[in-house]
Amino acid sequence: MSESSKDNNVLVQLFRTFFGKHWPVWVGGIVLGTLNILLFAIKSPWGASGGINNWGENLYSGFGLFDLAEVVPVNMNLYGMLCLLIVIGSFAGALFSKEFAIRIPPKGELVKGFLGGGLMAIGATVGIGCTIGSFFSGVAALSGGAIIFTIGLFIGVIVALKYLLWEMEKFPKWSSGKSYTFLAAGPKKGNWQIIVGVIVVIAVGVMAYIYSGSNITMTWFVIIGGLMGLISQRSRFCIVKAFRDPFMSGESHGAVGVMAGLLVGLVGFTAIKMFGIGAGESGIRAIEMTWVFPHFWVKAIVGGVIFGLGMTIAGGCAVGTLWRVGEGQVKLWVAALAFLLISPLSKLFIVPSFEKLLPHTLNYKNYLPDYLGYGGAFLLVVLIILVWYVFVKWNERTGKFSAF
Amino acid sequence: MEIKETLDCKGLSCPMPMMKLAKAMKALSSGEILEMLGTDPGTKSDIPNWCTKTGNELLESTNLEGGVTRMLIKKA
Repeated sequence: MSESSKDNNVLVQLFRTFFGKHWPVWVGGIVLGTLNILLFAIKSPWGASGGINNWGENLYSGFGLFDLAEVVPVNMNLYGMLCLLIVIGSFAGALFSKEFAIRIPPKGELVKGFLGGGLMAIGATVGIGCTIGSFFSGVAALSGGAIIFTIGLFIGVIVALKYLLWEMEKFPKWSSGKSYTFLAAGPKKGNWQIIVGVIVVIAVGVMAYIYSGSNITMTWFVIIGGLMGLISQRSRFCIVKAFRDPFMSGESHGAVGVMAGLLVGLVGFTAIKMFGIGAGESGIRAIEMTWVFPHFWVKAIVGGVIFGLGMTIAGGCAVGTLWRVGEGQVKLWVAALAFLLISPLSKLFIVPSFEKLLPHTLNYKNYLPDYLGYGGAFLLVVLIILVWYVFVKWNERTGKFSAF
Repeated sequence: MEIKETLDCKGLSCPMPMMKLAKAMKALSSGEILEMLGTDPGTKSDIPNWCTKTGNELLESTNLEGGVTRMLIKKA
């Protein structure tokens, strides 16, 4: 065998390692947690709902609606681009693994996608954040409001799961019927997907290079967003799965993966905040309060519950929706469409009315180290994750809280 | 090998295939085999994990043309 064909085999093996089968969720979680720290070190942590909202605002302003003329274009908005690159990165991951296909589910599922996406938009705007900003990043940022938002998510997920189980028993036809699949690969067909995947990766590289002349931060967001999408798709990293599966099938893989990423993020974020890394002229306090939103505690709990309901009905959280859009799940295309259409409307009409009802004392920034010190806040979050871990593992073994 | 029931989950995304599978398996007796057809890539990891947890046996998982995965599951 020649030297070059040996090298070729090694590269093929490497390719198969990444794209031959799914990665364990905890691997995805750890890498995503690390990339989240990198985002914070460069600018600010990972968020998803703000980027999707930016898409929606651009759509409305394009039609001259709702006086949104001052909106930042998607190609200039860091989080608008981050979300777009998550979709593109997932698209590349799905293509390389020949898992891309346009999958159109029965009509009832499309309706649920729209309703779920709409509820996620309302939950994210009322609660100031989604499963990424107010959970995966927010809890790591030692925000008290993020912990309340997380409790809300659990409540919403459990209620919506009960609904889905009831619907499946009483109205099974809602999730049955004609479905369509287009452009799917198979064992012998579909190598074109790998070629398109290479073209997509080259396009992302060119995009990152073009930004490097004028906006180096955007270059990093483009690269990290692309990686986040690809990693999420390969590891099937999904926060709704983490919250839902222990109460549904009793499985803990998704939950443990999210916990791993949360722990990694927690260590990195705590270090950045304690040392005020990258504080510059804005001062250490600005870094400390990054991703600590004024939603403690009413907006956080209400937003969390609504978001939890929405993501369970849609079958994808903010990031889970984005990477499923990239692999061609049309139910999640509809969910993302509803999210971007309803998010700006909720910000304009629902949130102000809701805020009028609440005194300021029920919505403020709660930074845990202000009350517990850095050591206490860090240990509290670690303890919560540990209790969650013990619960999901015990429940996996006993099935006490799982539906089947 | 006799297939007792075929469950068509084509076009459905997570969590519907898993929910439908769990419901369908409940109706089977021990040793009976269910055939599941799906297009959600997630089922390729979710269902083996679920079978390991529940003791049901995943006899076969095959990728067919058209993006369809066929799984044969024997009830414990």
